[in-house]
Amino acid sequence: MKLTNRKPLGLYIHIPFCRSKCEYCDFCSFVPSNSGVVEHYTDALILQMEDWSERCRGYEIDSIYFGGGTPTYLDMKHFSRIMDAVYGNFHVTRDAEISTECNPATVDFKYLKALRKNHVNRISIGVQSANANELKALGRIHSYEDFVKTYDDARKAGFDNVSVDLMYGIPLQTEESFGKTVSTITSLEPEHLSLYALKIEDNTPFARKRDKLVLPGEDAEYNMYMRAVEYLKTKGYERYEISNFSKRGFASLHNLKYWHCDEYLGLGASASSYFEGQRFVTTRAVRDYIDGLEIIDSNIDIVTACDDIGSKESMDEYVMLGMRLEEGVNIADFEDRFSLSFHEKYGKLLDEYVDDGFVIATPQSYRFTTMGMFVSNYILSSILDLGIDD
Amino acid sequence: MTDRSLIRNFSIIAHIDHGKSTLADRLLEATGTVAKRDMEEQILDNMDLERERGITIKARAVRMEYTSVSDGKTYVFNLIDTPGHVDFNYEVSRSLNACEGALLVVDATQGIEAQTLANAYLAVDAGLEIIPVVNKIDLPSADVDHCREEIEEIIGIPAEDCPAVSAKMGINIPDVLEAVVRDVPPPTGDENKPLRALIFDSYYDSYLGVVVYIRIMDGVLRTGDKIRLMSTGATFDVTAVGSMEPFGLQERDQLSAGEVGYLTASIKNVSDTRVGDTVTLAEAPAAEPLPGFKAVHPMVYAGIYPEDGAKYGDLRDALEKLQLNDAALIFEPETSTALGFGFRCGFLGLLHMDIIEERLEREFNLDLITTAPSVIYEVDLKNGERVMIDNPSSYPAADEITAAYEPIVKASIITPTDYVGGLMELCQDRRGIFIDMKYLDSTRAELHYELPLNEIIYDFFDALKSRSRGYASLDYELAEYRESKLCKLDFLLNGEQVDALSFIVHEEKAYARARRIAERLKDNIPRQLFEIPIQAAIGSRIIARETVKALRKDVLAKCYGGDITRKKKLLEKQKEGKKKMRKLGSVQVSPEAFMSVLKLGDDE
Repeated sequence: MKLTNRKPLGLYIHIPFCRSKCEYCDFCSFVPSNSGVVEHYTDALILQMEDWSERCRGYEIDSIYFGGGTPTYLDMKHFSRIMDAVYGNFHVTRDAEISTECNPATVDFKYLKALRKNHVNRISIGVQSANANELKALGRIHSYEDFVKTYDDARKAGFDNVSVDLMYGIPLQTEESFGKTVSTITSLEPEHLSLYALKIEDNTPFARKRDKLVLPGEDAEYNMYMRAVEYLKTKGYERYEISNFSKRGFASLHNLKYWHCDEYLGLGASASSYFEGQRFVTTRAVRDYIDGLEIIDSNIDIVTACDDIGSKESMDEYVMLGMRLEEGVNIADFEDRFSLSFHEKYGKLLDEYVDDGFVIATPQSYRFTTMGMFVSNYILSSILDLGIDD
Repeated sequence: MTDRSLIRNFSIIAHIDHGKSTLADRLLEATGTVAKRDMEEQILDNMDLERERGITIKARAVRMEYTSVSDGKTYVFNLIDTPGHVDFNYEVSRSLNACEGALLVVDATQGIEAQTLANAYLAVDAGLEIIPVVNKIDLPSADVDHCREEIEEIIGIPAEDCPAVSAKMGINIPDVLEAVVRDVPPPTGDENKPLRALIFDSYYDSYLGVVVYIRIMDGVLRTGDKIRLMSTGATFDVTAVGSMEPFGLQERDQLSAGEVGYLTASIKNVSDTRVGDTVTLAEAPAAEPLPGFKAVHPMVYAGIYPEDGAKYGDLRDALEKLQLNDAALIFEPETSTALGFGFRCGFLGLLHMDIIEERLEREFNLDLITTAPSVIYEVDLKNGERVMIDNPSSYPAADEITAAYEPIVKASIITPTDYVGGLMELCQDRRGIFIDMKYLDSTRAELHYELPLNEIIYDFFDALKSRSRGYASLDYELAEYRESKLCKLDFLLNGEQVDALSFIVHEEKAYARARRIAERLKDNIPRQLFEIPIQAAIGSRIIARETVKALRKDVLAKCYGGDITRKKKLLEKQKEGKKKMRKLGSVQVSPEAFMSVLKLGDDE
């Protein structure tokens, strides 16, 4: 029940620290050289929250997501300071979903217990694979056994909403080994699962040794995904977005904000925001981020890119993001939001993909089939304007 | 007017890279025509492309004055620089006809090559005095004596005392100048006879109109004269005559028999001033034109299309501009269902085609798609007609044809003997008919083959070079049209024929080539939402097939931390890429993929 007129807002908090950097990782993360950096970063985050406090008075925070890097790299002292600052500067709803990402073997039972005390009620553990060779190929520092230990500790610490991240398309992986990973993980019965395809990003060690990597290939990845979707269905996991699956009622609220074009504020280096009609990103340079906030009169603008999202663009985004969802784009919602015929703008273009089994069109909605989801970039880049004249 | 006995008209001829243009530079320098400080390399090759590739595309002429150290007299040298490539043989022969002598430059490290011989024969045919010049004597591997022997034995001209120079280092250049004075005969001709002037080149200048390079054989030409071009009968009023100086034109009162110079006459189009034509006076015409004029015809045709269909107009403007200076380039509009609007262009040969393509892309900033080059076929139809086919898409159906003919060339290949076996295999493979083989000396041989031109225009030259480690050289000339078992090979993507991919091929070659191109298409067509069958067909008979599997995965699995902008940028890039795609039937193909198929070589 909503008792206030405040608008909902998600909060994303980026923690860019890791014990070691994985070879495929393109995110803003690094191994800090001394504890001073963590201290300064925490101070900067708190200053940034204070800066935003006033502008967010009309909002209530109904989801908080700690991402990284490895958020649990923070010791509890820093974590508590950040959490206190969140509660001190923003209105957080009582039943807000508060998630943190966590790497196996970076936390113990005590730490997890402390997270629960600090309002965290959902934990997302990145195991990626249950296969030792594959973990090694990815450059992960933990074993599958480490993961099981962390998972059990999380349960014992009182987490009743646990998500697990898996990857497919990783070096040395086979359709069989991925199937085994999926079934092993589901036997633990996490509430939520994310299946991500490995993407080799430029400027990563993987990109530099791309030719030497033994990758499963496009057709194998397709089969891995297709089979996992079928298998998870039989185990009671519903797909609600291309890469996200959950037991009923456990879809991630924070995650859905992205796909529903809802507002969220990103704090910390490299964090993205969608706030009052603008999309903006904070600098990836952690040094600039800290200096920009801590040094009074510094000329560093911590926002590196900011776009006003016009109505045409926001329509494109709405469809691009909505089509990622199992439910697809609801025609009535679209037309309410944009006062424009969905069919005229996108529907008739999407209709061309119905006969071949990529898109399902009903009077209420348009959505991708599983096959369509897996080639969604191809189809979306054909039907969206994307600021390019035809 | 210069005393005719003090005029020396000569050319420099050589195989490519033997140092022709560098020697020309040195002569300009040594005669003081160009001060050393103004000297740039290959001063006569003033097109960027010529300098980069080290080739001469257009003929040029320059006037020099030289005071001989032996007799103290001052001579006028007219040096005519000629293109060295087989594509331009006719132009070369006309330039040579404007001279009395030729410097035959031979690289002391390479010896005689195919174009050395071909050019030497052209010079002999033109009745020129040939002065061999052994070049690059500064190089450690130079063998001057052997080179001289080769010249004597193979070409049959004395070379014992010929100049041995290094044009690059400026060694022994005066020897060349003295040899020109001594050995090149002064021009003959009679200034009292009716005017006969040989056109050996022309170019378009936006202020002067066409500038025509001429050699006066008989008579005198003055500004204000009314001239007639004997092949067309067209008349013009001469606005200026003069000589060619290294940095521009120098007007003179008149040009008389024996002299080389230029004329302008408000001529709008270079195609009015054909190389080899004779200029005479309209009022007092010569009875007979100079011998040897012929209209040049393209040997190779290809479709040229703008990558971006909207640039069709730009392409036409660019072709028109190039044609102003290149009467051998012909083009007419053509449409292809696959490639849209473009032009069917005719070229003298592959180098000519290559040059035009590159100039269009560089000087006019156009991105092009060029279809596979084709020769002209002649076809006898059942209705008794004989038709010429320069475009595979207009090739008649098999049941309408009684006989088909293809152009055959006489090819001469000079190669170190080590590679003879490999090259014979290559010629055999390209349907060549062996004529004979001569040993030039103990290390080198000259092979003669008859080869179908359509086997040469794909990648023969590259294959020749790769099989001989770059040592073999090639020269060829059109021999005749010969009956041949030809067929048209079509390609179908997803069941629809793609006109731009069709070509004419000999029956024996059809299967192998069909398979290779189908494979190449498979490798280069990006996966799409549906499976794409690729078929090669002769008529309705499918002779090869491949399949591009359907796209399975094209998805951004993770949208990290809500970074929507990044995802959108990715889709934008993808959409941009799709815009460049050509629709071949129902199939999207990128220009790069398309070109990779058209540029298919057999040795790959």
